[in-house]
Amino acid sequence: MPDQELKIYDYDKVEIGEELGSYEYVLTQEMLDNYRASIDDPEAPFPTLAVKHDATALAMVYVDNTGGVNAGNEAEFFNPPIPGKKIKVTGRIHDKYLRRDKPYMVIEATAEDEDGRLIERLRTYQMKKPDEVGKKWHPQG
Amino acid sequence: MASPRIEGDTLPSLTKTITQSKIEQFESCGIIERENIHNNVDLAKKRLGTTYAIASGRMSVAFVSESLRKYFGPDVFNHSGSVSLKFLRPVKDGDILTISGTIIHTETVDNGTRVTAEINCENQDGNATAVGQGTAIIP
Repeated sequence: MPDQELKIYDYDKVEIGEELGSYEYVLTQEMLDNYRASIDDPEAPFPTLAVKHDATALAMVYVDNTGGVNAGNEAEFFNPPIPGKKIKVTGRIHDKYLRRDKPYMVIEATAEDEDGRLIERLRTYQMKKPDEVGKKWHPQG
Repeated sequence: MASPRIEGDTLPSLTKTITQSKIEQFESCGIIERENIHNNVDLAKKRLGTTYAIASGRMSVAFVSESLRKYFGPDVFNHSGSVSLKFLRPVKDGDILTISGTIIHTETVDNGTRVTAEINCENQDGNATAVGQGTAIIP
């Protein structure tokens, strides 16, 4: 895990292409079992989805008091991770933009295991004005 | 090897019952502990104005992946699959989601045939919670 001081997240200061660094962890059988139980799929191969590699990469660099709502995800699967193996994750800011006056940020993480097997690439489209989404869901306020 | 797929085929439909316990179990799979709008109702209320925590959108990605894996087979989907979803409505405790999909496109690529499915996730009221696409490349 990175041993660095966290920065305060500021949408205006985040840069497209900004590297979020990398981190490693060991995927355990317990993590896999827990993930499979949470989604009622005993053969689910990618517990990495629940580790939220991209959001974790962001959280290892920034303190984000704004929060955000996940507006969308793109996941690519290459090889199922193997319990007991170390996973290395590399994250970055893929994009940011305004749509209908709402700020969006796209974070991305790519994971490979200790043998260099590509595991997964995940992108998350975060809308960084979450109260606006709440109003849409509950227009009566 | 997976058999050739044709446009108009339907994916195996899945039904998933969402509970707050499952939502929190999914959150517990992470490697850093943190409060968020999925496991903390107060934070969800503060940030979203909801009276409930919401499920991570990645749970829906996992559900869609299951349907695609069952259609294409694990040897294909687990090594060439993708899921792209746009989230439209919150998913929360008590919801019953139905995941469905239809093959809409096939195209020849360098390493086989890329097959694309249109995906729908609906709640028990018939409202779409997520839409998008899933793909895999059949060698």
